[in-house]
Amino acid sequence: MLDRLVHGPLSVSALAEPLGITITAVAQHLRILEECGLVRTEKVGRVRTCRIEMAGFDHLERWILGHRTLWARRLDQLGELLAEDDEKQK
Amino acid sequence: MEQPKVIHSTFTLERKFPKPPEVVFSAFSDPAKLRRWFADSKFHETEKFEADFRVGGEEFVRYRMTTGPVSGLAIENKAYYHVIVPNERIVTASTMSVEGRCISASQVTFELIGTREGTDLICTHQGAFFENSDGPQIREQGWRTLMDKLAAVLAD
Repeated sequence: MLDRLVHGPLSVSALAEPLGITITAVAQHLRILEECGLVRTEKVGRVRTCRIEMAGFDHLERWILGHRTLWARRLDQLGELLAEDDEKQK
Repeated sequence: MEQPKVIHSTFTLERKFPKPPEVVFSAFSDPAKLRRWFADSKFHETEKFEADFRVGGEEFVRYRMTTGPVSGLAIENKAYYHVIVPNERIVTASTMSVEGRCISASQVTFELIGTREGTDLICTHQGAFFENSDGPQIREQGWRTLMDKLAAVLAD
């Protein structure tokens, strides 16, 4: 779950969908992660979003997480580059 | 007794691309393509990029963060290609330095797996992370702040 949040904030339903588990189950996991100080959730209107709370990680964990985020961003950019050819052909 | 200072950490990232392995592989082997997804980003200025895609060849990128409080920070990635199996596998050994200080050394493995839908890409990053608190620019407290800010910028 933390792996998905590495890319940026997500709504609880967006987080739950690819995992194939109920929103209730995800919410339970998130509550635990929130108690540990690793994620922060916020409800605006009807949508609850969650994001990584960097303060919950010690400084070295944060560095490692930053590394992972860097690679995740690179692979996202690779996906965009590969999809470009499709756009050009349209 | 002193505690070990090096932290070892492995993570895996996976992606599915609706393209055949040869096309995905070319994004690694072609320096012009490689630069666009690997070296460049909207959060930093790429100052130097070189890639010699062959076993024993070197890939090098230096960039400077352009956003926020970390603006101006110089970061270098240097990698050597250990293994290249066309359209299947790439293994590199790399280091990352911040302001001239090496802060991590990693082995990164890419596996390209052809599927009916295209290619599954598996990136396995095995890293040794160092704490270098000596030196004029990077003292313990500054280091924490730096890493916080770097991670925050990258996480945006």
